[in-house]
This record gives sequence, C-alpha cells and structure tokens, in this order.
Amino acid sequence: MTATETQTETIRVATTTPGPLDYTPQMVPPPEPTDAEDATRKNYLNYDYSLFGWLFTLDHKRIALMYLAAVSVFFLFGAIAAGLIRTNLITPTGAILELDQYNKAFTAHGTIMLFLFLIPVIPGVLGNFLIPLMVGAKDMAFPKLNLASFYVWFFGALFFVYQLLVGGLDTGWTLYPPYSSKYSHTNVLYAGLGIFITGFSSILTAINIIATVHKMRCPGMTWGRLPLFVWAMYATSIIQLLGTPVLAVTVVMLAIERLFGVGIFDPSIGGDPLLFQHMFWFYSHPAVYIMILPGMGVINEVLTCFSRKNIFGYKAVAWSSVGIALVGFLVWGHHMFLAGQGYYLSMVFALLTMLVAVPSAIKVFNWTATLYGGVITFSAPMIFALGFILLFTVGGLTGLFLGTLGSDIHLHDTYFVIAHFHYTMVGGMMFAWQAGLHFWWPKITGRLYSDFWSRLAAIVMLVGFALTFLPQFVVGYLGMPRRYPNYPPEFQIYNVLSTAAAYVQGLGYAMPIFYLTASLFFGKKAGNNPYRATGLEWQTNSPPEPHNFPETPTVYFQPYEYGVKDGLSVVEKLNSGTKSDGAQTKTVGATSDH
Amino acid sequence: MFAFMETPPILPLQASEFARQYDLLFWYTMAVTMTGGAVVYALLIYCCFRFAKRSEADRPMRILGSTKLELIWTVIPLFFFLSFFVWGVRVWDYAINPPKEASDREYFAVGKQWMWKVQDPEGLRHINELTVKVDTPMKMTGTSEDVIHDFGIPAFRSKFDVVPGRYTAAWYIPRFTDKAKGGIETHHLFCDQYCGQGHSQMVGKVHVLSAENYENWQAGIFRSTDKKKPVDGSPAWQGRILFHKLQCNGCHFNQQVGDPSPKAPSLEMIAGTVREMADGKRFTADDQYIYNAIRNPSMHIRTGWQAIMPAFHIGLATENDLYNLTQYIKSLRNGDLPYRTDKSPAPIGGAPKSSQGTAPAPATKEGGK
Repeated sequence: MTATETQTETIRVATTTPGPLDYTPQMVPPPEPTDAEDATRKNYLNYDYSLFGWLFTLDHKRIALMYLAAVSVFFLFGAIAAGLIRTNLITPTGAILELDQYNKAFTAHGTIMLFLFLIPVIPGVLGNFLIPLMVGAKDMAFPKLNLASFYVWFFGALFFVYQLLVGGLDTGWTLYPPYSSKYSHTNVLYAGLGIFITGFSSILTAINIIATVHKMRCPGMTWGRLPLFVWAMYATSIIQLLGTPVLAVTVVMLAIERLFGVGIFDPSIGGDPLLFQHMFWFYSHPAVYIMILPGMGVINEVLTCFSRKNIFGYKAVAWSSVGIALVGFLVWGHHMFLAGQGYYLSMVFALLTMLVAVPSAIKVFNWTATLYGGVITFSAPMIFALGFILLFTVGGLTGLFLGTLGSDIHLHDTYFVIAHFHYTMVGGMMFAWQAGLHFWWPKITGRLYSDFWSRLAAIVMLVGFALTFLPQFVVGYLGMPRRYPNYPPEFQIYNVLSTAAAYVQGLGYAMPIFYLTASLFFGKKAGNNPYRATGLEWQTNSPPEPHNFPETPTVYFQPYEYGVKDGLSVVEKLNSGTKSDGAQTKTVGATSDH
Repeated sequence: MFAFMETPPILPLQASEFARQYDLLFWYTMAVTMTGGAVVYALLIYCCFRFAKRSEADRPMRILGSTKLELIWTVIPLFFFLSFFVWGVRVWDYAINPPKEASDREYFAVGKQWMWKVQDPEGLRHINELTVKVDTPMKMTGTSEDVIHDFGIPAFRSKFDVVPGRYTAAWYIPRFTDKAKGGIETHHLFCDQYCGQGHSQMVGKVHVLSAENYENWQAGIFRSTDKKKPVDGSPAWQGRILFHKLQCNGCHFNQQVGDPSPKAPSLEMIAGTVREMADGKRFTADDQYIYNAIRNPSMHIRTGWQAIMPAFHIGLATENDLYNLTQYIKSLRNGDLPYRTDKSPAPIGGAPKSSQGTAPAPATKEGGK
C-alpha cells in the first residue's frame, strides 16, 4: 500500500504505569484501583440498592440495564414465535399450527423483533450506556427525558403484549390495508397503539442523543475525535427524529379508517391502498437503517480494538453513516415496484437504491482494510464482528437483486426477500448486538465471561444462522412465496434444512444466557480496560461510578490510536505542556465546534 | 418417506420468453455479486490468517486511510450497481410494456380471499386455473375484490400485485421447457401478497398447452394423452372439480393424521338425511337444502358448528356450477370426501374416481403411514 500513510512514533517509556502502553488512549487513564479500594468504591450498580433507586433512576447506565432486561424478554418472545414458524414449515401442510395460528405467529415474530427488539436494542442499551461515557459526559443531556423515553417505550410495548394475550394480530408487521383496516378480525388497534406509543420513545431518545452529542462533549472531544459508534448513533437519531412521526401519522390514519370507516386507504370507500404503502415505507425503509447503523457503529469499535489498528478512513466511515441516513430517506419506493406505482417513479427509486448501496459497500471495504497490518486476536466480540461482516456482505449483495427493477419482479415477496433481510437484520444487527454486548460486558458488569463458551456460542450462532437462511435463497428463487404455512411438497427439503439449522441457531442464542449470567457470580474481575482499548469509556473504572468519571476528562487523541507505541508517554508529554503534534492539540479544550 | 426423497428442483423452470431474459439479468447480477463477495471474503480470510497475533512482540502498522483506495472502492461498486440499474430498467421495460399482439389476447384475473378467478379471452371462466397456448403472446390484467393479492407465476418469472380499485397487468409468451410431455406442462400459480387466513391456499395451476391441445381443450373434447379415457362430463364429475376449485375441501375434508380438526361438517352420506340446525329446526338434505347451504350458508347453521362459511354468491358460482356441486355432494359415499390438501385435478383427461385416485395425495402423509 504505497498510498497509505504509515507512521510509527517511538517515545520514551512512561514511568507511572506498570509497563509501557502499546496504544494511545484518548485520555490519561486513571490508576487501576487496588482490591481494597475496589471493595469500598461506589459504582453505578452498588451505590443504591433500593427498588426506587432503580425504577426512578436518572443514571443513563441504569436505564440502559432496564432496557437490557426488557429487550431480552421481548427477544425471547420473538424467538419463540420464530421457532413456531420454522417448526410448522417442516411439512408442506403445516406441522403444528393451523393457518390462523401461523399467521399470528409470523406477525408476532415480525412486530416484536422489529419494534421491541431491533429498533430499541442498541440505541436503548449500548447507546444509553456508552454515549455519555464515550463523549466524556456525566450523563445524557436530558436525564429525565431519558427515563421518560424508557417508560414510554415500555408502556407501548405492553400494548403489543396485551394484543398477543387477547388473541394476537394476523396482518403481518406491514399492516397493509385494506386487509388491516377492514378485513382482519384481530387486534390491529392495540398493535397500532403500541407502534404509536413506542414511536414517541424513539423520538425522545433521538432528541436526547443528538443533544448529548452536540452539547455534552468533554474538552478536546472534537467531531473528528468522536468514536464512530457515536457517529452512527447520531445518524440513527436523525432518521428516528425525521421518520418516526410519519409512521405515527400513518397508524393514526389507519385507526381512523378502521374505527370510523373514513375512506383513506380502502378503495371501496374512496381511499387508496398505495397511499398507506408510501407513508409506511417512508418510515419503515429508513427504519432498516435505524436497525443496522448502530450495529455498524459497534463493529468499528470492536474491529479496531481486536486488530489493534486505526480505523481505515475515519472520515469515509463517519460520513457514510450520515450519507446512508440521508439517502436512505429517498428509496422507500423500492418496496412497491410491483404494487402499481408509476413507471418513472419506480425508476427513480431504483436508481437511488443503487446509490444508497454504495456507502454500505464502502464500510465493508474499510473494515476489511482495517484488518490489514493488524495484530488480530479472536475473542468472542471479534468473532461476532467478523461474522457480522461475512453475513452482512451476503445480505447487502442480495439486496442488489431486489433493488434492481427487473430482477425484483420474480423475487418480490418470496423467501429470497426473507433470507435477504434476515442476513442484514439478524446476520448484521443481531451479530453486532452480540459483539457489542460481549465487548462492553466487562465494562457494564465489571466481570469477565468464559472465553471458551463465548467463542463457541459465536461460532454456533454463525454456522446456525448461515445455514438457516442459505436454503431460503434457493427456495425463494424457485418461487416459494413468503408467509405461506402450506407450500408445494417439492420445496420441503429446503424448509427442513432451514428448520434444522434454525434449531442450532436457537441453541447459540441460549448459550450466552448461561455463561453471561455465570460471569456475574463467578467471573474474574475485569479491571478497567481488559481489552487495552482507547475509548474514553475504558479509561474509567469498571463498573463506572455513578457520574462516569472521577473528574472531567480531557481528550488529546483520535479514537483508535492502537498503532502508536508507548502511547502513554505521549499523553504525559501533552500534560506537561510539550505539544508534540500541533494539528492534534489545536482544538484541545474546545467543548463544541459545530 | 418424505417428498424430498424425489429429486428436489434446484432452479425454476424457464417457461416463458421473459423467464429467459430475466435469468440473464439474474445470473449477471449473481456473477458480479458473487465475485464481489468472494473478493471481500478472500481479503478477510487473508487478513485474519496473515495478521493473526503470533507473539507479544507483534506490533500493528499505523494506517489511517487512503483516499485513492476509497475512491477505487467507491467507483467500482458504483459502476456495477449502475449496470444493474440500467439492465434492470431494460428488463422492467420489457416486462411491463406488452406488444400489441399480447394486448389483443387479454386474460383477466380477479383475486379474492382466497381464490383466483380467471377469465380467458374466449370468455371461459376458471377458478385457480389458467390455461394458455404455448408460444402465443398474452396479456394478464388483474384486480381484486377485497384486499391486495399478488398474481405470481414463478415459472414465467412474472408477478404483479392485484390491488382493489385499480388494474395492474403483466404479459407472457409461454414456452415449453424440455420437461414438457404430451403437449402439456403445468406450473404453479401463487398469491404472493399476504391476504389473510387462506393466503397459502390461494394457489392454482397454470397449464401451458400445445396449439392442438389448446384447441381441443377449448372445444371441450380434449382427451387425455393415451386417447383412451374420455372426459366424463357428468354434473357430479364437474362438481367434483368445482369442489376442489372452490376449495370446499379447505373445511369440508376427509381428516387424516396430522390435520387440524375440521371446521365444517363432513358431507359424506348426507343426501336425504335429516339435518338438525342450531336454532332447533330440522331439514331434509335435498337439492334445495344443499343449494341454500352454499349460496347463503348463514340460513342454516348446523348444531355444533360456527357460521364461518363464506356465501358463494352468483359471482362465485353460477347456477350451473351450483347444480354440479349439488350433484357431487349428493354422490359422496363414505371415504369419498377429498383430503384437505388435495388440489384441483387437471382440467383435462382422467375418468371420475374417488378423490384418492386422481388428486395428488399429500406426499408427506402418504409415506408416513
């Protein structure tokens, strides 16, 4: 690589630490507490054990853990529904469920996984926990709003649970009228209310994150030094802020039609069903980026740390997030090529879809290039992150078939689509979530989990996942439509293979429940920075104190400076006033430079 | 034991002119994306092996990025993505703009929960069946009576949403594949847009006939390929086809192992028996009773059953159809009722038999017993 800038600095060994650091943290790390200090130290987990202290906490880290508990339960619900679906598909005539039950199962799977797991999981858990830590703040910009958005989301989620208990929903998560507004006898209104209310939570969280990133950055944390996870969350928040209100309006219109018979979407009373699809996908296509962008952010953090490398092309990765967020708003019509929308409209959407695929491709190449020249270790978070790239590549490339006008005709609404978006949403987002959870688990809990079991779980999930959805590409190209409980018998082998692998995958998802729980009781103490990572969140205690840092941090360096040897001495030099790098210190002390 | 013990299909049949054009685009996209994916995978695997940590003394390079490389992997994918777009528009343009000879031969499909009503250019109407002449351009226009459906024929690579309140269309030039035998080839017709409970029951058959067979079929004198079995045109025989086509056996079925419990009473041996209603009334099951039970099911609700049967109004079953159905139901003896999963028998050939004889039996159940 002749064009790459290669630079190594050798500076004297720091004397205040047990040994030389082979990386440069963004700030001066505090001394590791001794065991005696650690025993008496107040952290965010042990400073208040009361129930009130948890339920009405304003601490972003505790709120993150409440999200973690809730989304884990909802993931279990969604996974059970997935298990029912796959088991039913073992035989061409439906192995265990009747038609209605199957329809309710796949609707429950879709709505729960999307609205109660994929959308809130990384923003709610990792975003909440990490963004204040990563920008060097004591908390989110609006701690009370943060708590409120959790409860609003949870209240909305209860409507999903309620509608499940009183009979379920059979419209599919897409809620297309006139089926949903007139023909379905199931609980469309409760589910709609759930979507409406959880949407407010999305908006509030987005406002909070945007405000935090703009106003709460510590001295020296310029935009160019923000960890890419923060960039990704910032881009996600923009989408949530702009897109979610449209979904809320759409759901209200659907409810008005269903309740009062006002003809909005149903053509038999003067409406237009395509209007719903336009409004629905105006939110729901960007929503897939709401789901995947935070995951991409996590991957940046994990890959750099475990390959000991600077991210390749910081600016390209950061701006591709923002690019995806903006262009992602202009491609919703590619869900409607066959729905009867206009000829030229479809062409414009297809062209923009090809353009929005480019930033994702850039990211994949940047990640691969990041590994080049690294010193790679394969801990569980790294295996998950590599799994993300492997699976997301397949998901992204198969998306091109569906975004191309001609080839979408045959593949639309077949299992090819199912396989494609599971490769992005599960292979992408789920693996990013697991990578993030495993990466920051020592920071969140202060404990290390089993290395062996976590790696095994990562491999089981990866293999199980890939084999579950590969046969679905084949059966989709053969023409098997989605949402079919009964299907022609010649498709059976592919469904049996898929189901068998789904069980393996399910086993993989169950494993972390055990070894992560075990780590809380038997895990070794993690120490402040078990992975020798550079981010601010690692330069404080594990678990962090209630207000994150003993004193306000000052940032001197880019994130991901894994390549500079003897990094701490550089920090020391800066502290003592010897500015070794004019460009880097120019903006030291700025709190906000937008 | 299982259906998949037979060789499963790997690629869909190319049974239309469009399918050939479509597959060129599909496999071009596949070749490019597989190559791109292989490049990424190769680089990943190379890096993971070459740069795996081997000793504590290993030090990483410090590489911040490269504008040149960024440009390369922006422009090259963009070039290929745009090539997909351009080719995709060409294929799309072909797919949605029927030539005049196709428009002159227009079929009409109406989707309703949960069946397809297809009318061919000669005015014949069929349910869940589309019979077309090979190598002859034709247009298919569709709409829906209720919710959004999607008229999809995988072997033709064709699909379009049928939306209530508007007309949408596709066109085909059906072709025989090399698997076609005896001047007839049959393909799946699927509803691809989720439409409620019976979405997966909203399936049918597309029969591509040779010109000679098509003429015979149209004339109603088609004989099966062995030329020995004439079509039985009796009302009960036609009623049996209707019984499948109207998917009466979705609810009125002969229960097998693994089936859900029937949602509707068995229809075997009912002719002339006395039927007890939920409201206490009693009726003798004669022609008039069966007629009413189909045309307006809520008139008579049997004790122990729910009022879930849809009304088969005049738009669904003509008087002629209804008569044929009635004759079929009256003819049912023990064990004659079709299985739940039985599909419509072919529209041509075959003498009347019991349901087990001609209808394709559900393969999984068959071997398991």
